[in-house]
Amino acid sequence: MHPPDELDEYLRGDSALSCQYRREPAPTPPPALDALVLDLAHRAGAGGARVARPRRDPCLAPLAFAASVLLSVALVLAIVFGPQGSKRADDTPRVMRVAYSSDPKLVRPPRAWLADIAALRRAGRTHEADEELRRFRGAYPHYSIGDPP
Amino acid sequence: MESLDEDARLMLRYRDGDTDAFSALYARHKGPLYRYLLRQVRNAGAAADLFQEVWSRLIATRGRYEARAKFATYLFHIAHNCTMDFFRRDLRLQTAARDAMLHAPPSEPEVPEYQRPDVIAEFAEQQSALLASLHALPREQREAFLLHEETGLTIEEIARVTQVGIETAKSRLRYAVCKLKKSLASREIMEAAPLRPRRDMKAVNAST
Repeated sequence: MHPPDELDEYLRGDSALSCQYRREPAPTPPPALDALVLDLAHRAGAGGARVARPRRDPCLAPLAFAASVLLSVALVLAIVFGPQGSKRADDTPRVMRVAYSSDPKLVRPPRAWLADIAALRRAGRTHEADEELRRFRGAYPHYSIGDPP
Repeated sequence: MESLDEDARLMLRYRDGDTDAFSALYARHKGPLYRYLLRQVRNAGAAADLFQEVWSRLIATRGRYEARAKFATYLFHIAHNCTMDFFRRDLRLQTAARDAMLHAPPSEPEVPEYQRPDVIAEFAEQQSALLASLHALPREQREAFLLHEETGLTIEEIARVTQVGIETAKSRLRYAVCKLKKSLASREIMEAAPLRPRRDMKAVNAST
């Protein structure tokens, strides 16, 4: 579409087009505009050489260090004594769910199971206690427990 | 290369509080910058406003200046951004004027002075065939041509200033040159007027 050397020839700077452009009048800003810009620059320069340059205040360095240490300590304390590390608020037993099985090796010892059921009942979780008791009876149909826990 | 280093040095000196350095820098670049703006927006009033805005931004951000590239690319990058903002404002104004005409016919739309047909016609009468052809170019092509002619920026530097790829900048300049050459071919080249140097900087350098 374009001759390959047309732009290269122009970029050399001595093309007829460049010559023609340089013959055109070369307007410059009016003197009032010159004065305005120079005044602005001089006033800004006189007002402080590095006004716009952000500088770190050396007094802030120890403060920043102290804040970092404080945050680190707070984070460690939160991890150590946080919700995961704290004692559970209630002491209700977490009953281990064991699937019912006819295999006696897979069921829990009856005493421990009954103790957990009793703890559930003490905690007011009657429905869960009844459910566990039903499973217990399924697993140990001949175990005598007297009064249900 | 010496002159570009000198520009950067001047800017660094100004950044550090030497206001005389700014005066020298200003003298080097005021002409090319003014013509770039004038021939982009085609109105002396708007060009003057933009000219002031460009230098104001340069002054305000002088503390962050670092001489990483040619100073002209830094200055004209600001000029490019100011010009783009201007055209965006102008577009909004045109849209508002069009809406006003549609919805409120009795009032005259607020079209800026430089867009008035009589002002445009007057401006067109004052310019040569080459400048008329230049103004007929799409804005991006005109900008590429002006950046090269007024500042001597290379294609890579034009790409950096206008924030486009090198191939795009090259294509814009190629189209601009092709169209302007065609328009020149149909007219006689004026030979009466003497040549002026490409940049005002050369005149400044020669005098110093």
